[in-house]
Amino acid sequence: MKLFFLLGVILLTQPLQAQIRGIVQGADSLQTKPLKNVKITLLGAGTSVFSNEDGTFEILLGKQSPDTLLFVLKGYRSDRLVVTRADRFLALNVVLVSGQLVQEIVVNGQKNPHGISKMKTLHVEELTSAEFRKAACCNLSESFETNATVDVSMSDAISGAKKIQLLGLDAVYTQLQFENIPFLRGLESAFGMSVIPGTWLESIQITKGTGSVVNGYESMAGLVNLEFKKPKEMPRLGLNVYQNRFGRSEINLQGGQKLNERWHMGLFGSAASIYGNFDTNHDGFRDQALSNTFNVLQRFSYQGRHMEAQLGLQAYVDQKLGGQTTYSKEAPIGYGMELASEHLSIFSKTGFFGRKPAQSLGIIAQLKFQNMNGLYGLRSFIGTEKRAYLNVIYDDIIGSADHKIKAGASFQYLLINQWAGQPFGAAVVGVDRTEWVPGLFAEYAYSGNRLSAVAGARFDQHNLAGAQFSPRAHLKYAITPQLDLRLTGGRAWRLPNFVADNISLLASSKLWIADQSLQPEISWNAGASLVQGFSLKKRKGSLSIDVYHTRFSQQLVADRDSLSGMVVFKNLSNNSLATVLQAEFAYTLMRGLDLRVAYKFQDVRAFFNGSLQTQVLLPRQRIFTNVAYQTRNKRWDYDLTYSRYSAVRLPRGGQGKPWALLNAQVTRNWKKIELYLGGENLLNVMQQSPIIAAQNPFGEDFDATEIWSPIMGWNVYLGLRFNLQ
Amino acid sequence: MKTILISFILFFATPLVAQKTMVIKIQTSAQCGDCKERIETTLNQAKGVLYAELDLETKVVEVKFKTSKANATDFELLLNAIGYDANERKANPAAQKALPLCCQPGGH
Repeated sequence: MKLFFLLGVILLTQPLQAQIRGIVQGADSLQTKPLKNVKITLLGAGTSVFSNEDGTFEILLGKQSPDTLLFVLKGYRSDRLVVTRADRFLALNVVLVSGQLVQEIVVNGQKNPHGISKMKTLHVEELTSAEFRKAACCNLSESFETNATVDVSMSDAISGAKKIQLLGLDAVYTQLQFENIPFLRGLESAFGMSVIPGTWLESIQITKGTGSVVNGYESMAGLVNLEFKKPKEMPRLGLNVYQNRFGRSEINLQGGQKLNERWHMGLFGSAASIYGNFDTNHDGFRDQALSNTFNVLQRFSYQGRHMEAQLGLQAYVDQKLGGQTTYSKEAPIGYGMELASEHLSIFSKTGFFGRKPAQSLGIIAQLKFQNMNGLYGLRSFIGTEKRAYLNVIYDDIIGSADHKIKAGASFQYLLINQWAGQPFGAAVVGVDRTEWVPGLFAEYAYSGNRLSAVAGARFDQHNLAGAQFSPRAHLKYAITPQLDLRLTGGRAWRLPNFVADNISLLASSKLWIADQSLQPEISWNAGASLVQGFSLKKRKGSLSIDVYHTRFSQQLVADRDSLSGMVVFKNLSNNSLATVLQAEFAYTLMRGLDLRVAYKFQDVRAFFNGSLQTQVLLPRQRIFTNVAYQTRNKRWDYDLTYSRYSAVRLPRGGQGKPWALLNAQVTRNWKKIELYLGGENLLNVMQQSPIIAAQNPFGEDFDATEIWSPIMGWNVYLGLRFNLQ
Repeated sequence: MKTILISFILFFATPLVAQKTMVIKIQTSAQCGDCKERIETTLNQAKGVLYAELDLETKVVEVKFKTSKANATDFELLLNAIGYDANERKANPAAQKALPLCCQPGGH
């Protein structure tokens, strides 16, 4: 009732003036990208504004209508647009064409660290580097900790690896990409996320529901795109050091350099180590695996008159050693966990401009090599992966910029081998696979006055999964200038890697049964969201609610319920689904003080043991609160994040305890230096005896996979960021 | 009891209140978000500043500072040094040239 009242007040207090909103983009790359700092002047009224970091702008229409908007940015051709009061529902999309050579634009600071992009037809949540600074944020999986949409949890009690979930489904159902290039797929799904340092990132875009068909067929629950710092815009030198109380140290470095008028280079490096031997719960096992990780990325960008290119190379090694405190490489006594993983990838993106301003051709290519081997006790695992990827995209408009079309072809070659050992002398399980996947896709986008829509489809011919057709549609309708309704629906699919996707389940004595033939996983996803923006006492806020439903027509599930002492991998047909509801409220309470509250309900079920049962180890409800305060002189930042989770279901009956997490951080900003001190898990939540039958790790009952909450107590860390422009 | 408590608080709070502050407004040559960021960062990190906020619409920066630690001309000179005009004082030409394109004269 109260909520309705509030909603009513918000709706009634909307300004009556006509507000024009939109996004300015620059056609200087194969994907037109948002332009910031474009001066937008309303010629008649004489008022002007500047576009934000994400290219968006809002300007109040004066008494004069129609009036003319003028867009100016050095390096681009200026543009004019006539607007009337009727355009207040419009999400203007203005594309400025590069004058000649695109001039340098320096990026500083961010404005809205977190928010749902108003202009996009798809429901896209954007996290910028200002958001990453709110938390310790050592690596990619931890970057999501100040966010309600993505859940972060431990994958097992031995490796210390963290996993993420979107819409109640594991990260493998979310398509991860690095600037529209496939990323962290295949073998990397288990440990890859902890290798990427958060300080390398510029922003993350989270799309709920199936993503654009241009990016591929795998976005079943959603799509997460990572934007790394760009060679042209990054500081000459950025340094980040971090230390926590549990013996974890990191050094992350990045620097950009201008080679000449057209070439820029960016170099990224990271060294991270966990050397603290801790057994806080005295079960004889290390609470976290010791690890050493080295990661480098070198990238180049080229900007020419008729083309643009991005080239890069990434390589890393990741080593872990965990298990009983008695275990070491030299003296392997007792239960041990080891991981050795090596990765090399090279990528290129080239874009050619056509004769017409909006016409372009983009080519994305990638080669990847991955080797991984290790063990959990007596169960060893091994995997190799070779991947080649090519995506060619043609962009054009039909008639006017209101009708856009993208079409193209993609090709993927994949050679993936993955095998895992079994306890008690049972035969190893795994798969060797070679994939050839040519594909075709087309997408049409319409942006009208109140309505914008994207409809697309792709057709892939997989040598093992056969022909697959994936239609998808997205729609956005502005009910009022501040209230947006979005609908999305579509089909997506993938081929499961049952060993790589479930490596953490090796941390138990449960026998793996996987005798069924490999089938593709296919899902339909449908979603709806409402976002109401408002301003109350001149301060902005938003209220959003969304529901997403994923229905698998085929899914490979790990059944930990039906048979005791076993994990059964089985193909389910039309017998698994996930429904997730999320409501979020964000408001600036007073100058510098921002509040974000969210509630999430997830109903994720699959057919286990004769009935549709809730997925194990997944909380059905979560409450999330983030309070951020910045002093008026911007010297101090305070952050507090609190999450409360409901009880989880355990395999073969029983329930875990509900738990809560409290994280806090204080940052002191100087001109070039930021120093931060933070605490994690300040309520000191620890799961009691996280490892079942820890005394007898080679016995039948041993299981370190039934974990849901932290296993180490409160943590405190200190870090420093240094930037030289 | 209450009165004692209040007077106690007042006694300790007095030094804070007594410290003299001043709010000034300086007309600058800022042009875009980058300029705003640069000017605010520089002034907020300057000695004695309680806050500095720039309004891009009017190009006026509002600075609140402790009069015991700084005076108004300090800020104008500081703005000149990083490449911006401040009231009547002209920007240092070398610093102005080093600014990003959108902040240079004619950038917009």
